[in-house]
Amino acid sequence: MNRSNTTFTAEEYPALRSDHPCPRRRPGVAIAVAAATAMLALAGCSAPSPEAATSGFDSWDDVVDEAQGQTVQLWMYGGDEQGNAYVDDVLAPAVAEQGVTLERVPVSDTADALNRVLTELQAGRTDDGTVDLIWVNGANFSTGKQAGAWLCDWTGLLPNMEKTAADDPLLSDDFGTPVDGCEVPWHKAQFTLAYNADVVTDPPTTLQGVLDWARANPGRFTYPAPPDFTGSVFVREVLSSVSGGSDAVPLAYDDESFDELTPALYAELADLAPSLWREGDTYPASGDELNQLYADGQVDMTMTYGPATLTDLVATGVYPAGTRILTLDEGTVGNASFLGLPSNSESAAGAMVVANTTLSVEQQVAKADPEAWGQFTVLDYDTLTADEQRLFDALPESAVVPSYDVLSRSANPELSAEWVPPLDDGWRTDVLGAQ
Amino acid sequence: MSLAPLPTRAPVSGRRGIIGAMLVLPAVSLALVVLVGGIGAAVLQSLGLMPLVGPVRLSFDAYSAQSSSLPESIAVSLGIATASTGIAAVVGLAAALVIVSGRWGGRIVAAIGAATVTVPHLVGAAAIGLLLADSGLLPRLLGIEPGGWPRLVGGPWWVAVIAEYSWKESAFVALVVAGTLATRVARYDETAALLGAGRLGRLRFVMIPLCLPALVVSSTIVFVYTLGSYEVAWLLGRTYPEPLPVMALRLFDSITLTARPEAAAVAVVTTAISLAAVGLAFLALRRTAMWR
Repeated sequence: MNRSNTTFTAEEYPALRSDHPCPRRRPGVAIAVAAATAMLALAGCSAPSPEAATSGFDSWDDVVDEAQGQTVQLWMYGGDEQGNAYVDDVLAPAVAEQGVTLERVPVSDTADALNRVLTELQAGRTDDGTVDLIWVNGANFSTGKQAGAWLCDWTGLLPNMEKTAADDPLLSDDFGTPVDGCEVPWHKAQFTLAYNADVVTDPPTTLQGVLDWARANPGRFTYPAPPDFTGSVFVREVLSSVSGGSDAVPLAYDDESFDELTPALYAELADLAPSLWREGDTYPASGDELNQLYADGQVDMTMTYGPATLTDLVATGVYPAGTRILTLDEGTVGNASFLGLPSNSESAAGAMVVANTTLSVEQQVAKADPEAWGQFTVLDYDTLTADEQRLFDALPESAVVPSYDVLSRSANPELSAEWVPPLDDGWRTDVLGAQ
Repeated sequence: MSLAPLPTRAPVSGRRGIIGAMLVLPAVSLALVVLVGGIGAAVLQSLGLMPLVGPVRLSFDAYSAQSSSLPESIAVSLGIATASTGIAAVVGLAAALVIVSGRWGGRIVAAIGAATVTVPHLVGAAAIGLLLADSGLLPRLLGIEPGGWPRLVGGPWWVAVIAEYSWKESAFVALVVAGTLATRVARYDETAALLGAGRLGRLRFVMIPLCLPALVVSSTIVFVYTLGSYEVAWLLGRTYPEPLPVMALRLFDSITLTARPEAAAVAVVTTAISLAAVGLAFLALRRTAMWR
């Protein structure tokens, strides 16, 4: 298995350089390719140029002028009712006042949106793409960056970027990939476990404790199957736990560390499997399915990257009233999520206006309200004016979810995006395939 | 007793033949563009000739990359498709015979069948999931705890997946078969009855031979559809082993750019199996009495 197969650089592969609008083809395959000329005409160039595209705007005023009347399609994960409602009812009217129409396109997985862009680029649609903004982070961002799918060096144009802290590591690196002005931060997230305190009376305080609890209570715990986003981060949490803490796992990927650290991880998870829901015979296919199992009372713990939504789920009776956050002594990983602007967007200026609006204090406060969406802000609290700080201070507190300060205490950084595919693949072969 | 062969149509020749060919040309060329373009693109991608990143290089790596799990996936997909097609054919044939019987029961079955065909598979899968899951409607109505309920959704025998396909596709088979029967069954059936054939004899020697071509064709469509359909198996199935379409879409959506050729390879394998199934079905069709 070639583990680091995602890394391509222009040095290694001259065909990647943008001075080759279409990659060169070897004579040996010329006949096969010629036979399919009609089809290639359909498909256009084979590989999109991975050279990052730049915005071409000189000033913010130019952007605002150009944006007038544009329609921006924001592709985002559609499984979060509160997020959908926030974008439709709060964000869209705010950008409409600035002459930009915002349309939300729900997708079941962010990779669908990126795939759409890559497919359009592959088909030669380089300036009239249908995707204008994607709610993205992590591996999807780094994959898009490798393939040249993002517009870069545009975030500096946004006036509201000044309200974020330039030295915040969560905002300057996205799962170890430098952001380089290719995406605008939207909110922060903290991976969190939740449990039903009515059933689990003596909750564990470490991840190892959670695994022990699962063994002591067979059938009452499970996690989504990677490559689901939530399942994937759970596997990374277990990796740092069995390796002796998050410091023991190097953030940057290398084959040696992978070979050294992962046997213990997969041995632990394969050993845990018989104690899981359905004896580890099958796994929930997505975070939503795990949440459903938790809501139905089939398991006593669930996990999420968006703990703020728990308040509403308990209030509406979807989750048991005893639902509480499980804080771990060693901390959990935290990250930020972003808005990426595809390089072939037809409404790039409009997308920039939307991105700038999302960073305004009003929007970040509205989004942080647990009753609206409850997403943690990316703004730098200390640089805000006293009036602006008061808006954040006035947000209601939740009985279920502690504040971001408490949640993110001893927050650990995400492993680099190159870790994710080999870890997920290894899980399929060594845990799923081992039964 | 043997069936009188249908009058064979004289082959159309000359000007009328050319005009006929011209009339279907737009439809055929459109189908060809989609078919050749789509399958051709999948074949090219699977052979490494249309990479997203990296050099253009002819290789069979994409086919060997999943070689460890591909046989199991093929087996699971074939199993689901065969079971679903078998049940749908038997239930559909029985329903079609009831429909053409002309009694009031037939009208009810026809109405149920017509209603079922309009339900999208995704909605059907969600409904079956709500009904049959461990904490679904059925165990709750029966008062069975999740632990005591058989593992229909996500279980080792893919029961919920096969149930969804069988339910939806038996309605499809029933309507297709009933449609072909309705036009001519009464004449043959009454003639046979007048000649003294009993109910079983009429079923054996009249109804089933009349049904067979339509049954073979509709079952082939069902088989190929279930083999290539994604959403039902993903929603109601289990994590491992994966049916071919689930595997193809997982690889296609993978954040690893180099997984796309592998997804295309799985799609090409699925297509090849489908084409082989269609080929076998046509061979079988030529052997039926009605075709000759």
